Amino acid sequence: MIEIKNLTKSYPSKLGPQYIFKNLNFSFPTERNVAILGKNGAGKSTLFRLLAKSEYPDRGQVITNRSMSWPVALQTGIHPHMTGRENTRFIGRINNVKSLGKYEQQVQTFAELNKKFDLPVRTYSSGMRAKLVFACCMNIDFDIYLIDEATSVGDPLFRKKAKESLKEKSLTSGVIMVSHELDQIREYCHSAVLINNGKLTYFKDLEEGIAAYTNPESKGKGK
Amino acid sequence: MVTFSQHLAAWRRVIFALFLRELQSKFNDKLGLGWAFFEPFVFIFGLSYARSFISGSEVHSMPILIFMIVGMLSIQSFMTSLGSVSGSIKKNKPLYAFRQVQPIASLITALLLEFAIKLGALFLLCVTVYLLQIEYKMDNPLLLIAMYLMLWAFCGAISLLFGIATAYVPEINKVKNIFMRPMFFISCTFFSLQDIPEKYWHYLNWNPMVHFIELSRYALYTSYGHKGVSIEYAAGTTIGLLFFGLALYHLTWKKVLSR
Repeated sequence: MIEIKNLTKSYPSKLGPQYIFKNLNFSFPTERNVAILGKNGAGKSTLFRLLAKSEYPDRGQVITNRSMSWPVALQTGIHPHMTGRENTRFIGRINNVKSLGKYEQQVQTFAELNKKFDLPVRTYSSGMRAKLVFACCMNIDFDIYLIDEATSVGDPLFRKKAKESLKEKSLTSGVIMVSHELDQIREYCHSAVLINNGKLTYFKDLEEGIAAYTNPESKGKGK
Repeated sequence: MVTFSQHLAAWRRVIFALFLRELQSKFNDKLGLGWAFFEPFVFIFGLSYARSFISGSEVHSMPILIFMIVGMLSIQSFMTSLGSVSGSIKKNKPLYAFRQVQPIASLITALLLEFAIKLGALFLLCVTVYLLQIEYKMDNPLLLIAMYLMLWAFCGAISLLFGIATAYVPEINKVKNIFMRPMFFISCTFFSLQDIPEKYWHYLNWNPMVHFIELSRYALYTSYGHKGVSIEYAAGTTIGLLFFGLALYHLTWKKVLSR
């Protein structure tokens, strides 16, 4: 369960503060993997970053007792001049994993980078980078994994693997995902949160959420 | 409940990770880490040595080479660090996605790294002075160490202020260079405060760097004297700026994250 209390978030701009959320009160369960849906600029990523505590609201709080991953996007925490191994060790250190050596090995096998693991990340293709970042995240135990669309650009085989490992973990942990690709969302998620004009609606069933998202006219009432 | 020592351990872990990352990403070319020490050493020693050729052998009872080394090392420590340390808040911005990493952690990391580099350069300078059998004295090593550490605290405080300010107003970074350039010439690097007529001192001794440098020289040679400078002023400005910087950071760090 994630509870959002009286949350206000704005970004400064030339036209004065741009409010993304104003006095938002909301809560939604996280047992069923959640997709965050919304138009461009509706505040999906902002909500995402607020949940991860990468950013903080102007006022109000996000309350949860579950441990969250960092918002896993294509570039987070990866330095292009460092090797895959060095980057992995950095992420492991920051997140305080028990055994760096074991973690390193798990990531290497999961990401299927083989020898390239010891080459600078700037020589990787974007798919390989995504694999690395995703592997780094999946091999640390979190209650909730926050996954941005960019991470799921791997090839179908890798996506299958990712899905399986997420399913394995689904007993203890959930996923919150941001993506425009409805196919991907259907692959990973079962419920949805729709952002519209700074208001959130929770849909227990993903298809209802997608329907409300794709045809706003015939918008169903959220449960 | 998280105890204080757990907090401390978490901070230590993050700073250590950032430190290694900095080392790995900054010095992974062929010249490697050695260059980091070598470059400031060559610059400081070269300029000091050249200057000691140009004019006489002594400045107020102090050999001019030592005199110059103290001045150059101090001002270089301050000026080169200021840029990279204050820039670190912005540079590590992508890493703040990890909630464990906060802006001040990257600032402390950059400061530690610069400090380590300058200590390396200092070590090379000492070795050179020893090998060339240049005569030197060290009358008050404690004061010297205290002054150098305080210089770094001062540098950290100024960098913090600049770092936060540039997060809000990026233009400050451009202006900063113009304002910092004269520091090289008004901080008594090439001359002694004693060379200036006393009635003009107030144009110079508002600058804490003058106090740091002159007191370091005094720490080496007591006979050099410490007229016009005081440890109270140096410590006072350092503590004042540090307090102001940390207070400002405490108020703004959450906003700095989303800038």
